[in-house]
Amino acid sequence: MTTQEHARCRRYSVDADACNLVEIRRFVESVAREVRLDEERTFDLKVAVSEACANAVEHSGSGRCPVQIAAWFYPDRVQLDISDGGDFRLPCMAPERRRENRGLGFPLMVALMDEVRVAKQQDGGTRVTLLLYLDNRGVA
Amino acid sequence: MQVVTTRVTGAPIETPLLVISGEIDHGNAPMLSAAVEEVLEKEVPLVLFDVTDVVYIDSGGVSVLLSTVRRLRERGWLGIINPNPNVRRLMEIVGLSLDESFRMFKDQADALTAVQEFARG
Repeated sequence: MTTQEHARCRRYSVDADACNLVEIRRFVESVAREVRLDEERTFDLKVAVSEACANAVEHSGSGRCPVQIAAWFYPDRVQLDISDGGDFRLPCMAPERRRENRGLGFPLMVALMDEVRVAKQQDGGTRVTLLLYLDNRGVA
Repeated sequence: MQVVTTRVTGAPIETPLLVISGEIDHGNAPMLSAAVEEVLEKEVPLVLFDVTDVVYIDSGGVSVLLSTVRRLRERGWLGIINPNPNVRRLMEIVGLSLDESFRMFKDQADALTAVQEFARG
């Protein structure tokens, strides 16, 4: 990524609550439509963003911290940053994930996206960055 | 998401059939989990989910499938009927489709045949 790039951005903020995953998916669908992703890649992006948001919901605990989503539109890719204000945790290492069947979210993000990055933010929260390249594959 | 619990008609053994529709996510997966708990109370060996009208599933929903498969492992299997290509792909990615206690069927008739074979031993 070079500093010369100018990307357009759409932002979306919602309270960290699993019930808000429905509206988060509607936002992701509108992003996918803008970059003309096909049905398969749209599904992948919805799942990956949901997993990142579900992590954020777990981090926030009380549900008071908002989850912020920023969709960046580049000529060759779409990037979604999902940030929470909770305590930083590696997505696969949260203690509650040691319960059965948990911890699927991060492997799924990696399997479905072209690139996944996790960063600790200055305020201690977690930012997950999901990237999809807009090559010929999966563009309707 | 909507879940309607019924049973497979014409099956030689009692086989619960959960007809699920809509979107399964972290928010509503506990509701599906509760419906599964209810049918597993009877210790049935087989359970079927008809997911023809499921348009979306995330790891919250996949977790319910995984734990159902594990609960049935010693005695039978979980059968998934008619997943759409995206739902099916997710099941393949998480390795569900490789599990011996997990079956996929194209329709309810196909599933009934497998139930009959199971009952015959």
